[in-house]
Amino acid sequence: MIPLRLLVVIVLAFVVLLVARLFRGWRGRVRTETPAVPLVPLSIRGAAERTWVIFTTPLCASCGPIEARLRATDPHANVVRIDAIEQPRLSHAFKVRSAPTVLLADGEGRVTARLVGAEAFERYVRNPA
Amino acid sequence: MAGSPTPIDPRGPRFNQAVLTVGLLCGFVFDWKAVVPVFAVVLLLGAAFGPRYGPFLRLYADLVKPRLSPPTELEDPRPPRFAATVGVVFLGAASVAFAAGASAVGWGLALVVAVLAGLAATTGICIGCEMWLLVARRRGLISGA
Repeated sequence: MIPLRLLVVIVLAFVVLLVARLFRGWRGRVRTETPAVPLVPLSIRGAAERTWVIFTTPLCASCGPIEARLRATDPHANVVRIDAIEQPRLSHAFKVRSAPTVLLADGEGRVTARLVGAEAFERYVRNPA
Repeated sequence: MAGSPTPIDPRGPRFNQAVLTVGLLCGFVFDWKAVVPVFAVVLLLGAAFGPRYGPFLRLYADLVKPRLSPPTELEDPRPPRFAATVGVVFLGAASVAFAAGASAVGWGLALVVAVLAGLAATTGICIGCEMWLLVARRRGLISGA
């Protein structure tokens, strides 16, 4: 009886670890634009050649420092902070599932980078791909 | 977000979920049915009265957290509390099933909780929390939603 149950547990643990691995890979990746990603609206990016869009939530502790850092390190870019909870349509459109999610858009509104989490942001800033 | 509860360290609920997963899976392997109602009560305490009353949440706050670096992010405590409430319902139903002699049903329900808690502990994907967000947005519990 115990070996059978142990087998069930091993299978379940394997499934959970597999999902965890896939999720981590998906979350930490810097994503370039695909046809499924919409353009960042003109009302958000304005006339800037480059726009950083930071999706935040009221409890996101690292979002403020990220915004400050972007303003300091990329002064010519437009930096926009969006509360994902107050803008559910936008956050849904850009598939925002956690904060911070940072998008980099070019002058046409195309998303050229998508950084999920403070760690991914740090990695990108240190070594932009 | 006025009137929102004090944000919590998200690693607390994840520690709780990890202990829950390990406990339920060990209970399943060795057929310790008593684990299920015990964990139902453990979850109930945290869900009903807050993290200070959840034994494993308290264990995390008192013993584990002081040894870790400060959290980089804080989270709203309501989604994990709602998820814990869902866990209480499942584990409560599993306990009733055991009492009625339906062990397979009981373990089935308990394993659902174990898998979801394991998923949340290892990936941060918390299905109960997502359910809370959906309900909260519909009912306007989140400002501006």
